[in-house]
Amino acid sequence: MITVIVIALALCAVVLFYTAVRSRRKQPGQDVRPIDLTAFRILMDRDDELFLKENLSRSKFSHIKRHRIRVMLRYVGRIAANASAVLRMGEAARQNSMPEVADAAAQVMALATQIRLQCLLAMMKLSLEYAVPSLQLTPGMLEPKYQSLRDSVSRLGVLTQSKAPLAIAI
Amino acid sequence: MAVKSLIDGLTLAGAVLQGALALVLLGRKAWKRYPLFTCYAIFGFAVSMMFFFLQRRPTIFFYGYWIQEAITISLGFAVVYEIFKNLFSTHEALLKLAGLIFRWTATALLCLGVAVILVQSPGTIHLGKAVLVLEEATRVVEVGLLMFLFGASAAFGLHWKQAEFGIALGLGLYVAVQLATVALRSQIGVQAWQVMNVVSILAFDSSLLVWLGYLLAPERVTSAGEVPKRAQLEQWNQAVMELISR
Repeated sequence: MITVIVIALALCAVVLFYTAVRSRRKQPGQDVRPIDLTAFRILMDRDDELFLKENLSRSKFSHIKRHRIRVMLRYVGRIAANASAVLRMGEAARQNSMPEVADAAAQVMALATQIRLQCLLAMMKLSLEYAVPSLQLTPGMLEPKYQSLRDSVSRLGVLTQSKAPLAIAI
Repeated sequence: MAVKSLIDGLTLAGAVLQGALALVLLGRKAWKRYPLFTCYAIFGFAVSMMFFFLQRRPTIFFYGYWIQEAITISLGFAVVYEIFKNLFSTHEALLKLAGLIFRWTATALLCLGVAVILVQSPGTIHLGKAVLVLEEATRVVEVGLLMFLFGASAAFGLHWKQAEFGIALGLGLYVAVQLATVALRSQIGVQAWQVMNVVSILAFDSSLLVWLGYLLAPERVTSAGEVPKRAQLEQWNQAVMELISR
């Protein structure tokens, strides 16, 4: 039995390494996608959800809520991917000879890291809500943090006089 | 006889590749950034050369082999820690949390390793079997830690440097295959051991190629040119809006 577990672990490791190689081959810039924060806010609206809960049958509500969660998961996934792109951009900017640019890059990276963590938490909460639609665990911190990241990236763009449309993109 | 020739050929190819790796590491002054991996690679090369001359002295070869295996596995753990430190060093906000998770993962894997030892060696066993069980247990921990590194970097969206990714990938590939072969050795007959040897040496040679490839390949630079154009972004945005309004 233990041999089977050990061999399964080795196989899982090989699959994980293969996945890592494949995802690394993707161009880093391809991960940058725009986020519509207004739409994201609407999706996260608890009052809207409460209204649906009161006016729909339980099965219909579960169906609609799961559909909303799938869309929200896509948004959270995009926010996470954009935060990763910012981390990569920040790594390059941290090497800048101007101290204020390097400092701004460090701040942006710290914020992007926090957002990645928030995204992990949000995905866990959304997965739980998907399993049990009557739960309400909508992540509340993510959206303001993302707005703050957007402002920081804009500031970094001004400091580096970058023409890259990353700040607009995210 | 054919298997023996294959093993000899693969071992020789491995020694040549190890020599090339040592030269690349020294030539690129890699010991400054990866001192432990440089030790690991150079120690492996030195040991290969030493065993080439010790082949006709079986007793010394036997004990020497297991001693070098213990040192190599210890250095392997050191390399994993080195990659972990390099990967998370630029992310102060993550370092504390990642360090905590790393320690917990290591503890859980140690428990699994102990479980492997307890289950695989219920009674009195001879030295060869005991060494295999011990190797299996340590490889479980090593594979688990490497899986943690890849998993954590994916979860936190961290960017691997070319060389670090190559070192982790090569080590992971070799250790995973070695774990599977060691686990199978305890279950199959001695006749199949030669086949396991071929698989193990092939995995090691492949890892050497991975290390060389990633160390020699130029670092991918993130540039502004990689960021998509605004018109493309607007198209994506529109697509999302359509998705929401459906």
